[in-house]
Amino acid sequence: MEQENHKIKAVNLLRSRICDPKFIFKNDSADSNYSKLKFMVSSSVTEACNNSVLLLGPRGSGKNEVLELVIQDLLQEYPDSISLIRLNGLLHSDDISAFKEIARQLCMEHQLLFSKAASFDDNSQFMVAMLKECGLAHKTVIFVLDEFDLFAQGKQRLLYSLLDAMQSITSQAVVLGISCRLDADQLLEKRVRSRFSHRKLLFLPPSIEDSQKLLMHVLTLPIDSSFPYDYAVEFNRKIQNIIEDKRFKATLNKYLNVDSSVKHLLRFLFCAASHMDLQTGFLSQENIELSFSSIQRQPKLECLRNCSSLELKILFCMKRLEVKEQSLCNFNAIMKEYKTLPQPDDYSKNVCLRAFEHLIHRELICFTDNRGQNLSVEFRPVKLLISSAELHQGLRANNSCPRYRKVQACRISLPTFTSLADKCHQRLFASSLTTPSNPHNFISSMNKRLRFQDVIDNHKIQREEANKCVRTCPLPLPTIPFTSYIAHPSIPTVSSRS
Amino acid sequence: MDDDKTPRLPRRMTRSSASSSASSSNIVAAVNPKPLTINDLLVGGHLISLDDIISSFPGRNSQILEIVRLLGPLNSPMLPLFVYGGSSTGKTSIILQLFRHLNRPIVYSSCRTCYNQSILFESILNQLLLHRKNASNGYSNAKRCERLSDFVNFLREALTKVINNLKEKSEKLISNKVTQGKIGNMIYLVFDNFQLVREWDKSSTILPLLFNLYDLLKMPEVGLIFISSTSPDTFYSNMGYVEPIPVYFPDYTEGDIRQILLRNQVNKKLYSSFLDVALKSFYGITKQVGDLSAALKPLYEKYCEPLSDKGKGVAPNENMKQRLLSHIKPYIASSLNEIFKVSSLSSTEVDTHKEEKRKGNPRRLEKSEEPGSLDFHMSTSAKYLLISAFLASRNPATLDASLFDSKGGCDNRKRKRKPSEKAQERKETLEQEILMKGPGTFPLERLLAIFQCLVSVAEEPSDDEEQISDGLGVEVGNGGLMSDVHLQLSSLCNANFIFKGRSCPIEGSNRYRTTISEDLALKVARSLKFPLSKYLYRILQEETAHGLSIQKTLKFMGLKHGRIGKSPVE
Repeated sequence: MEQENHKIKAVNLLRSRICDPKFIFKNDSADSNYSKLKFMVSSSVTEACNNSVLLLGPRGSGKNEVLELVIQDLLQEYPDSISLIRLNGLLHSDDISAFKEIARQLCMEHQLLFSKAASFDDNSQFMVAMLKECGLAHKTVIFVLDEFDLFAQGKQRLLYSLLDAMQSITSQAVVLGISCRLDADQLLEKRVRSRFSHRKLLFLPPSIEDSQKLLMHVLTLPIDSSFPYDYAVEFNRKIQNIIEDKRFKATLNKYLNVDSSVKHLLRFLFCAASHMDLQTGFLSQENIELSFSSIQRQPKLECLRNCSSLELKILFCMKRLEVKEQSLCNFNAIMKEYKTLPQPDDYSKNVCLRAFEHLIHRELICFTDNRGQNLSVEFRPVKLLISSAELHQGLRANNSCPRYRKVQACRISLPTFTSLADKCHQRLFASSLTTPSNPHNFISSMNKRLRFQDVIDNHKIQREEANKCVRTCPLPLPTIPFTSYIAHPSIPTVSSRS
Repeated sequence: MDDDKTPRLPRRMTRSSASSSASSSNIVAAVNPKPLTINDLLVGGHLISLDDIISSFPGRNSQILEIVRLLGPLNSPMLPLFVYGGSSTGKTSIILQLFRHLNRPIVYSSCRTCYNQSILFESILNQLLLHRKNASNGYSNAKRCERLSDFVNFLREALTKVINNLKEKSEKLISNKVTQGKIGNMIYLVFDNFQLVREWDKSSTILPLLFNLYDLLKMPEVGLIFISSTSPDTFYSNMGYVEPIPVYFPDYTEGDIRQILLRNQVNKKLYSSFLDVALKSFYGITKQVGDLSAALKPLYEKYCEPLSDKGKGVAPNENMKQRLLSHIKPYIASSLNEIFKVSSLSSTEVDTHKEEKRKGNPRRLEKSEEPGSLDFHMSTSAKYLLISAFLASRNPATLDASLFDSKGGCDNRKRKRKPSEKAQERKETLEQEILMKGPGTFPLERLLAIFQCLVSVAEEPSDDEEQISDGLGVEVGNGGLMSDVHLQLSSLCNANFIFKGRSCPIEGSNRYRTTISEDLALKVARSLKFPLSKYLYRILQEETAHGLSIQKTLKFMGLKHGRIGKSPVE
């Protein structure tokens, strides 16, 4: 019983650490954002001056959490000289509700009676008056504007009146904007921008080393009386082993390449902690791998795997229509194409229509426009929402339609190529295309059954360079080497989707 | 403590049983208006063990265990979950059963029944504030919240209250040294059918709000679970959000479906041998359990027909299996095409499908039913109006003159003069495209003109034969058919036979469109004994097998009912 208890306690500890921003983001070093922000705000509190700061950084990089830490510290240090107003762009983006919310929070803070019926003007005048009063009482009002970019929509009256009130010497306020748009200050109107201090704090995602430190920080158990000594030491040793493992490092790198923000890492950690085996009470390599695979989903492929063979055939027909570059693609056109398939099944039209509707529900295809609601389903134009590579994999995974394998093999779609081009730093393609930044050209030249060598000759690029670029960028179909794509005799096709 | 022991009715059960339990719990509420307690946030019913849940959901073993792991032990905080998978894969019922097993409080709200944001918010707050709508409070909600900001404020208040309540309760339990009946400090908010939120009015603000709710509330005691039938990548948002943890429910495999279908059968062996025969071909069409069970039920009855006791207690042997197989074989193919008999399509399409089904087995049709009987009543002039609307939608406007000029009937001379091969080809592709694009729109004037032509044509031939009998009637009929056309048109519009589009900015007048299928139009025409195919552009041009067959039927009908119009064979 005791044994069970400390294992469950370990899981609980890890999970609550992951869900506790204080534990994750506490960082006292001098050049951390936490220290910088704390210095800025506390100096304006102690020196009774006005200030405005923007905290910028991608979503999930901990802007809000760091700010929260700073505010809690300040509230402890100067409990009487701070009053806090929190607004969120999602909730209070229109001026009326923003002023109302400010008035409500000010009333709450200072034990005043809040009137719901107060008008916009009343509320804004109340705010200005309160700012003045607070300034006289040497009380700093801190405005936290989460989702700052949403306040910059419309006439920006709130931002203007806030920043304008801060120009007078009587007031004493700090405006802290949080936004995941790096150009948030460019969204401001001229009259607002000129009143803004242009102080910005950038929150960057941690480097790989920092991420690993964070991993250790979160996953190691404390060696004190809360856990049996042997268990904690053994647990920490295993974690150390896992983190230093080369394979783990590679997977982690791959995972963080998608999004290296802290929250993204925490998602994985949460999964790993909850996959922990309660029998042994230790995190194992298998747990880690399982959680990696369960968190990195490929929804479209999963969806394709679920499709019945009739549904796959319909998708395949749509792809054929797309390849033929037919302008119109609706259910009737698909049925016409379906009839031309080798060995057609004799399903009636309404069965196919239902399968077609299933595909729409699965969101593998969708209607191209919302117009023509009154048109019945079979006439409304549709488009594919999956790339040909995905469809290819889906067809391959499905055992029931093997005969389409060959037809579908090795087609390259435009999205594949654009992503390829992006990832290669556009070196290969910029040099390989006669008109740069147009992958169409490259593909159309391949359409004429040019072999790889010819492409290289035509566009005067080094074979080594091309190969290197191809090697450095992961293709969506990594199993097939790039050169085999190009040298393949079947005609690669351009899909018109972008 | 007393509250714990008083017998409670299950307040919430699986989706299927919800309807039956709703009425009984309402009665109880009226009789016994006891204030709700925190215990009412638990999923009702007696405790259920994890093994029971796993055995009652075949093929869902790994998903159940994964969710249990992610929910974690008692009092452990949780990041938001996103449970997704196709319809009828057991997402909602597994979540609810798991909470019944774990005995933790949840607030369940389905975005299907709460069909807009204020209803959703009010339902969540009602449950959290333990508020019950009844006659004494005028069936009002606990809080009114129109704005998102109000909702978040109220929600925070209500949640803190509930969590404090829970904490007190668990402390009391700890001090009393009670180990059973712990419900923990966590409260879970479950949003079912989350994919529907995307179609709401203010979805662009409410979606990011709900996804960011966890960060917004900053309460580690609150767990969020989103259940959706579409994958997380279909929730586009230009705001961005930290993605919740995905849990995927794949569709059932063939083996799973077999187990599920076998569960409630009386004679499992017989049913299993039936599934050996039938399931494979149906599985190729759809993988949804609901569809499959509906489709297989009538077929199984067919399968059992040769048996004396309808297959209640026989154990099948090889010999019998063979016999039953040969019995069922011809039915499988035909029932494959009737698999979706219960369709949720609009009424006109249902009609179409019925018609198509009849078309599917023409031999039976000829014997059993009189061809072209309409199963609804419609006035004659409305029928003509519908036909003319169909023609106006289907035919290109430029051909109206040639089709309707001299007393109707097709211009045979035009057909004799053969256009060049290329032009014909081009024409054919063009008309096929028209057919595929679906019905076109037309102005009111064109509809009325065609209608007038049709009525005049339809009544003319009757001059020869019916003049003597009721010569007067024809004149009256002519006037009668033309009267109240606008009224008829508006009633057809209301019945969704004809759609009224928005007014065209250039022409100014309204444009109409009819979406009835050709089969329905032919049916209406037959009931009027009106030679529709003569006026259809497509059939004039290409004499496909289908067209020919229709012409044959018309010819046949023409012989039977006397001369109606000019038959195309002349």
